[in-house]
Amino acid sequence: MVQLASEEEEEVIQAIKDLALTGDLRLENFFELYRQGSVYLWEDAPEGILKIVVNEETVENDDFDELAPLLHPLTKKPVLIDGKQAQPLIDDLTDISPGRKVRKLANSSKFLIRLASPSLEVRMSGVKKAGDPPQNIDAIPSLLRISKEDTDEKIQWTAGESLLLIRLAGVLPEQTAKDREAAIHELGNIKSLRALPRLHSLLDELVEAEEKPNGTKAWSAAAKKSIKQIETHETSVDRFNNIFQGLSLGSVLILMALGLAITFGLMGVINMAHGELMMIGAYTALEVQRAFGHNPDNPVDSYFLVAIPVSFAAAALIGLIMESLVIRHLYRRPLESLLATWGIGLILIQLVRLHYGDNISVNAPTWARGGNEILQDVILPNGRLFIMLLCAACVGLVYFLMNKTPLGLRMRATMQNRDMASSLGVNTRNVDRCTFALGSGLAGVAGCAWTLIGGVTPDMGQTNFIVDSFLVVVTGGVGELAGVICSGLGIGLITKWVEPLKIGSFVVGAIWAKVILLAIIVGFIQFKPAGLFAPKGRSSDV
Amino acid sequence: MILKSVRHMARQHSVSVMLVFGLVLIPVLYWIGAISIETVNMLGRYMCFAIVAIGLDLIWGYTGILSLCQAFFFSLGGYSMGMYLAHHGGAGGATDSTGWKIPACLHVVSSEVGVENLPWFWKPFYDLHWAVILGLLIPGIVAALIGFVGFRSRVRGVYFAILTQAITVAAWLVFCMNNMKFCGTNGLTNFDNILGHPLSENYIKLALYLATVVSLAITYFLCRYIVRSRLGRVLIAVRDDENTLRFSGYKPYMYKMFAFTVAAMFAGLGGMLYAPQMGIFTPANMEASASILVVIWVAVGGRGSLSGAVLGALVVNLLYNFLTSEHNFYLLQWKPDYWPIVLGLLFIGVVLIFPNGLIHLWHRLNGKADKDANQS
Repeated sequence: MVQLASEEEEEVIQAIKDLALTGDLRLENFFELYRQGSVYLWEDAPEGILKIVVNEETVENDDFDELAPLLHPLTKKPVLIDGKQAQPLIDDLTDISPGRKVRKLANSSKFLIRLASPSLEVRMSGVKKAGDPPQNIDAIPSLLRISKEDTDEKIQWTAGESLLLIRLAGVLPEQTAKDREAAIHELGNIKSLRALPRLHSLLDELVEAEEKPNGTKAWSAAAKKSIKQIETHETSVDRFNNIFQGLSLGSVLILMALGLAITFGLMGVINMAHGELMMIGAYTALEVQRAFGHNPDNPVDSYFLVAIPVSFAAAALIGLIMESLVIRHLYRRPLESLLATWGIGLILIQLVRLHYGDNISVNAPTWARGGNEILQDVILPNGRLFIMLLCAACVGLVYFLMNKTPLGLRMRATMQNRDMASSLGVNTRNVDRCTFALGSGLAGVAGCAWTLIGGVTPDMGQTNFIVDSFLVVVTGGVGELAGVICSGLGIGLITKWVEPLKIGSFVVGAIWAKVILLAIIVGFIQFKPAGLFAPKGRSSDV
Repeated sequence: MILKSVRHMARQHSVSVMLVFGLVLIPVLYWIGAISIETVNMLGRYMCFAIVAIGLDLIWGYTGILSLCQAFFFSLGGYSMGMYLAHHGGAGGATDSTGWKIPACLHVVSSEVGVENLPWFWKPFYDLHWAVILGLLIPGIVAALIGFVGFRSRVRGVYFAILTQAITVAAWLVFCMNNMKFCGTNGLTNFDNILGHPLSENYIKLALYLATVVSLAITYFLCRYIVRSRLGRVLIAVRDDENTLRFSGYKPYMYKMFAFTVAAMFAGLGGMLYAPQMGIFTPANMEASASILVVIWVAVGGRGSLSGAVLGALVVNLLYNFLTSEHNFYLLQWKPDYWPIVLGLLFIGVVLIFPNGLIHLWHRLNGKADKDANQS
């Protein structure tokens, strides 16, 4: 590294290249500092050795001399003399700030380091950057090697793509027009999305240029063909992503609305505190995470599997308390229960806020981050996949509970005819408690699952959840579980389908999609005022 | 003995008592310096809320419709007046190409959304009389639409409430967007003048207060007239047994729509009076939680009783004012943070313990039986 201080620019360049090939990630930061001019040569006086050190900011001592606290170039730890950080006068250090050419080289070498890194993510980002301007020709041998030998298929493919992009840009020395044309064709064949904007600009250039150099006529035809190939791929990717996002949103909604449908459908209680129960589930997940000591530097992924049942239990407990104190007086009185539960919700929010403050982040387990690429360019985030599975599991469990267990039988009996059930020996008070606890527990699980995809604040119940959950329940009707499923999926798919639509140059976007969805629901209610699957029975109240 | 007759008189003439209190007592106290102009202003604002509460009582207490979007109508009125005030609000802002002045609060967001010309929907609010008329008409028309869509299809009570809440949330989202050109989350600001008089002057604040009291009185008497008429009886019938009413040949949805529209217009009136007294009007005024607050005022005061609605609005807001400052009670260091807990307990208490509200508590203390809600 000391070679960086050499007088000859050639030696400096060679030093940088050699350093880059080592693949030491800490060099990336070092190169940045080097580029900024924070790297100096220092003569360690007693030992007389020349060292490369880093100094970012100077401090002033009592005599108003500028001192430079020294840091080790790679570890950024203070350089120690006799146990204290070395702070020579700044003038004693030799400034080895690079010239412009070397600075540029240092900049582009930064990502070369990434190519040699053992970590997948870092390599991928390096490979991607290699294809972006300014293309570094020296990267080509490494890229070639990676595209053939790398352990990860996706990185191999991306390296190949970057190579093609470099060829497209025409920066290789002695590149023929035919070669660029071949690159255009190939990019179309592999349906590279990254190439799309560059092909467009190439086409624009060709159209604008009045004189077309030899061999470039074929380029515009090739470019057009490739653009078409890539664009069809893009639309199908978008469509697929859209459907997935719709399903994912739908499954989140279903999870949220499931508990609500149970309490509303079975007990005639509007639980405005449902959002707050979800919030409690989310904060429980936070506590479990803290108990396990999980954080980004030290992941303990098993915490999440424990968090799910614990969230269920915590929310169910709070639901039980709510039920015994307040809600049991309010059965079959939906308007009053609306007000009372809103009040409970306010209290819960404030209590949580007083205890936790306003903003906490919950770190997702490592397997929930990142995604699964099943088709080219279609990335399904793992967290959302998990939520879909969780939703299916919950729906299955609830169905099983309601229809195949004795408890479920008692619940259904109480819902259909409370007095008769009671005279047949069913303890309706217990059943009520169990039902409400079940509904609340499901809310807790939904909240715990939410931490995988969103942030956690005390009032997340009010902002994110409650209105959507109620819309799902209102649209689906409370007669059957299937109502919640259909309306949840329907709302999710419609919202995500509407969002990216364009009217002229105006993209609908999330907020207008919500308004449109609301209008659709209002229209839908005209025809089915009690929802899709209304409770059967003859009643003049409909 | 004397106390009993005073109480008797107060009960019989509770309305007049309140009017005397509002119109005479408060200004006199202010004039002699016993209370500050801030208190007058605060009372004025709370009376605007009382106007909204009367409207909600009309549809909830008498007609049995729970509406969770009164704050939305309140905001529609508030925005109308607010746009008028913003037009005439002081320096700042720019002039567009057609000579219209772009208000300061709009100009702040305009650079982001490229507002060069004043949007067309701002222009009608330049004149006060148009602003007032639109401030009443717009909530009314919106309410008529919502009512038509909701009531015709016989959406039941709870579903209708949730629907109105969803509408409020959607409206809030839309008004918060900067490119809707309603000044986004900053809201309408820079209110300086009304009809040429500066809003910061004390006499204007007093005048606005008196205008609010008069409007409250007018609203109250208008509602009392409606409620005591045959129309009022039909409304009560809607609340008590809509099916029987329908089988008797009436069309309930028309009456419900009427009541809903009237209540919305009252809310708009409240909003219009609130904007100059508050000095700012933001989308936060139309959040879902604001609408539920209106319900609590009416519930605490007494639904089905118009003076109850007014009482509830004033009592809850005064309590809010008191409890959101720091106090040192004997045993407990009170912090403003604790207010939501009190509010939550108030919600629960109103539902479980005194469902008929304070006014009926008062009636019961006076030995008067709980008459039906035909009393005011």
